[in-house]
Amino acid sequence: MRQYVIKRLLFAAITFFVIVTVVFFLLRLAPGGPFDGERRMPPEIEANLKAAYDLDAPLVVQYGKFLMRLVQGDLGPSFKQKDFSVNDLIAAGLPVSATLGAAALVMALVIGMSIGIAAGLRPGSAFDGMLMTVSNINLAVPTIVAAPLMVLIFSVSLAWFPAGGADTAWHFVLPSIALAIPLSADIARIMRGGMAEVSLEPHVKTAHSKGLPLPRIIYRHMLPIASTPLISYLGPAVAVLLTGTVVAEQVFDLPGIGRYYVQAALNRDYTLVMGVTIVYAFAILTLNLLVDIAYGIIDPRIRVASRA
Amino acid sequence: MLNTALDFVRSSKLVMFASALLLSVVLAAVFGPIISPWDGEAMDWEALEAPPSASHWFGTDLVGRDLFVRTMEGARVSFTVAIIAVTVSLCIGIPWGAAAGLIGGRTDQLMMRIVDGIYCLPGILIVILLVVMFGRNQYLLFGALGAISWLTLARIVRGQTLRLRNAAFIEAARSMGLSTSHILRRHVIPNVIGPIVVYTTLAIPGVILAESFISFLGLGIQEPDTSWGVLVSDGTQTMESSPWLLVFPGTCLAITIWCLNTLGDRLRDYLDNRTTHRQSS
Amino acid sequence: MHLRRLHWLRLKVILACIAGVLFTAPVSAQVLHIGNTGEPQTLDPHRYNLRLEETLLNDLFLGLTTFDARGQLVPGAAASWQVSNDGLVWTFTLREGLQWSDGTPLTAEDFVYSFRRLQDPNTAASLAYFMYMLNNAPAINRGALPLEALGVRAPTPTTLELTLSQPYPYLLERLLYPTAFPVPRHIIAEHGDDWVKPQHWVSNGAYVLTDWQPQGYVNMASNPHFYAEVGISQVRYYPVVNEQSAYNRYRSGELHAIGAFPIGELDNARENYADALQVSDLLSMMYLVFNTERAPFDDVRVRQALSLVIDQAILTDKVLRSGAKPAYSFAPALLAGYDAVELPHQSQTSAQRLAAAGELLQAAGFNRSNPLKLVLKHVNGVENKKINLAITGMWRQLGVQASLQQAELRNHFAELRQANFDVAWAGWVGENNPEHYLTLLQSDIGNVNYGRFNSPAFDEILRDAQTMASLTERNQRLRQAEALVVNDYAVIPLYTSAVRRLVSPQLSGWYPNLRDVHQVRYLRFEP
Repeated sequence: MRQYVIKRLLFAAITFFVIVTVVFFLLRLAPGGPFDGERRMPPEIEANLKAAYDLDAPLVVQYGKFLMRLVQGDLGPSFKQKDFSVNDLIAAGLPVSATLGAAALVMALVIGMSIGIAAGLRPGSAFDGMLMTVSNINLAVPTIVAAPLMVLIFSVSLAWFPAGGADTAWHFVLPSIALAIPLSADIARIMRGGMAEVSLEPHVKTAHSKGLPLPRIIYRHMLPIASTPLISYLGPAVAVLLTGTVVAEQVFDLPGIGRYYVQAALNRDYTLVMGVTIVYAFAILTLNLLVDIAYGIIDPRIRVASRA
Repeated sequence: MLNTALDFVRSSKLVMFASALLLSVVLAAVFGPIISPWDGEAMDWEALEAPPSASHWFGTDLVGRDLFVRTMEGARVSFTVAIIAVTVSLCIGIPWGAAAGLIGGRTDQLMMRIVDGIYCLPGILIVILLVVMFGRNQYLLFGALGAISWLTLARIVRGQTLRLRNAAFIEAARSMGLSTSHILRRHVIPNVIGPIVVYTTLAIPGVILAESFISFLGLGIQEPDTSWGVLVSDGTQTMESSPWLLVFPGTCLAITIWCLNTLGDRLRDYLDNRTTHRQSS
Repeated sequence: MHLRRLHWLRLKVILACIAGVLFTAPVSAQVLHIGNTGEPQTLDPHRYNLRLEETLLNDLFLGLTTFDARGQLVPGAAASWQVSNDGLVWTFTLREGLQWSDGTPLTAEDFVYSFRRLQDPNTAASLAYFMYMLNNAPAINRGALPLEALGVRAPTPTTLELTLSQPYPYLLERLLYPTAFPVPRHIIAEHGDDWVKPQHWVSNGAYVLTDWQPQGYVNMASNPHFYAEVGISQVRYYPVVNEQSAYNRYRSGELHAIGAFPIGELDNARENYADALQVSDLLSMMYLVFNTERAPFDDVRVRQALSLVIDQAILTDKVLRSGAKPAYSFAPALLAGYDAVELPHQSQTSAQRLAAAGELLQAAGFNRSNPLKLVLKHVNGVENKKINLAITGMWRQLGVQASLQQAELRNHFAELRQANFDVAWAGWVGENNPEHYLTLLQSDIGNVNYGRFNSPAFDEILRDAQTMASLTERNQRLRQAEALVVNDYAVIPLYTSAVRRLVSPQLSGWYPNLRDVHQVRYLRFEP
């Protein structure tokens, strides 16, 4: 088991390094400079700017400096947000995005698992068909449509929630729901499959015949096995969530790093894009690592496989 | 093959309904622009943002173009994007997965580690970056979308290949001295075609949604060409003053995605059942 | 000694703030929430670049001249000024008793320091050229001369003398830009680049920065040391890029004023928010520019043909319906004291123009079997997409096949500066000064002449005009230059923008104006 964890850790570290390197060189390949403002700029001023940001050094030197700083946890200055360092910006935006993502994930798990369990208990029933149809419809309505509609209905017409900003917990309700809906549909499908499969297992049938109460059977005998596939889904789900936060932060005007990412990419703010990508990669790798380890603990086959 | 398909369509009412609905969207996309008297690029200065009427069935857009024709032209582009992207992902995913499964050992380990690594990336954000950096090239967009969606496929194919690798008939072929590529072509691929069809059916909605997400950020297809993603994201900008600009393309998009998801799900169940039946009989 | 004095000053500031809060709280504890069109990239007035930053900087700083509530130029930190007969030496007398927000006296030396800082190569100010009319400024900015060589000095603590290399009668206008704002030299000496952080912030405007959550909001509080009274003690600016969300947040009562809302909602707003709606002209020019270095747009016949079939009135009245006004001249018709030169084909009917355009294209070698194909580049957004689509529709009548390419604002202009386009939409929000527009077509102005238009005759007239100190003479000469450009069809003027805002009726003192400047210090909450 320890070997398995070390292997995973090593793999995550290598992946991280490769991602960082690829993104660094990719961004330097990009046409156009970071100082293209709306107004004109004489060459001497452009030269001043380039020197101020080390952009006049050879690429390898820039890369070396970048790595040195990264090791110290310093993501450098932002090219466009002149009054903040990338660290400052991420420190301000990450809590917002993380709160949003976590709230959405919890909500998606609660909704998705409830629907999945209810549907998976009686696969093939009318109730199952209805729930699955609803979840398929959820999947068919893109967040870019659902989110603005929700603002119109719940913020503008009903005035239940604010239409934008991140000042209070209240501000996070609508965006997390918008984000949780498609995710919960996925979770419901996975949960339903797991439940349907596990309900055929002998020990569950035994439990039923013993006349144990249904909630107890579900909780004790079915869930632990039925939710295993869900754990392996959580890795990719993080990537889905990240994409979702980008939309939600745009529509609901939330000051999170997803919004920075888009703005920075559009403005060619190299250092900020890189910083956010690094944070994303780090978050996804860490969460995947945790999922892998959890999976390794739950599923003994993996332990065997890793030794073989 | 055709028989299997027909059997599948007849297998349930829901499948029949979804198939019929999907077919009608495809037919409308193919023939709609031909039937309609309007040209998708002609602008009518006297009917800007006109609501649906007998002459403009879906109304007109911000510069007076017929929305029905635009929606159907958008359908063509959206389907094309999806098909190209899925083809790209098939072209990478199948050989990758099959090779990893067949060769096995360290190579397999390494190849699947690479897949795991890329899996960690928020793929769509990389697509955004590429589009921002290298300009709005449609082919770049298609290719990039394909290049991020082959991972699941590679895993499926590898899994199937591993299962088959030790199967008796492959052993036999190998003992006859047939080459790896021959075994791949003749024995492995025909056996994994079912899961691949399921994957493809479920991947198309993913690509269509990804394209709409990119269009929402203003990085998608360029005018005068259009796609459902472009129409829908433009529609959200005017959903109060001219809701039809969102409703019609949005409904078409949702119907198509729902049909494909439903069909993919059912096809998977259908194929699973068939194999179970065969094994038990 | 020095330290103790600083502490004492800080204490005084804190006491003043507390006193201010205590005594003004019952009257105007209300916070003003304003939607700005985007996130500022900096609040350093010498490093700023964007109009949305000007909005904030106008509240935080006070230049020698400033705007009144109706957007007119009025004395700011300077109480009065004089100009020498040759137009080269400007002498400003500062207001008595000016102070920074920490109570430190503000002197003419602060202005000298600030003008030098702008030109300092180490500041790397991208808008340093705004003040290139100051003697030796370009050379200093290149690093060829020391900072002390700049044409600015302070003979007394309240007198500032600016020496120019050429007459520049629009100097007072130019001083309105944040590039001419004073920055606190004592704070910069202490904190370096961190002086812009809220915890170190000191400025001389009606408000001071108290908090900045990136992409969240910028918070400001009134400056107790400002020379005039203000009615609102706290302002919060939110970056709201999307017009729909600005509109939503106005309607849900979260914002008191917004910079723009979706154009399609204009009729709705007229009906439902009549008392909040403000539609006004913006002193600006939206135009199409041809890349005159790239065939076939180097051919004046092609440019003329494409220009002839554009109907500016359809664009503004039918397509945009935003209150924007059609433009027929390159210098906006809204300029005061200048009579712009209109396009020569204004008197023809649209049928005549279409026929003439067809002939011109034919003569240039294009016809049905060999249609002219081009890419029209524009900035993204619903409004721009509409306009540019409509333009391609007009060209379609000539058989021209145009496709669109849209990009984010900054990238679009980056491409334009690199002359990487066929035809492109461009916009210029300039000063009340025709030269600010016409110089965009000067051949040696640099990459802001996107189309690389090159007319020696035009350049010569312009250069001649730039030596004139008299405004009327200068404008007359500029008019001759504009007449040349109009006949060369270097650009197609399209329209002057209109600003559409929603401003809560609770707020008074918000007057629509040509420059769309609304300093918070002139606003009051209605009781």
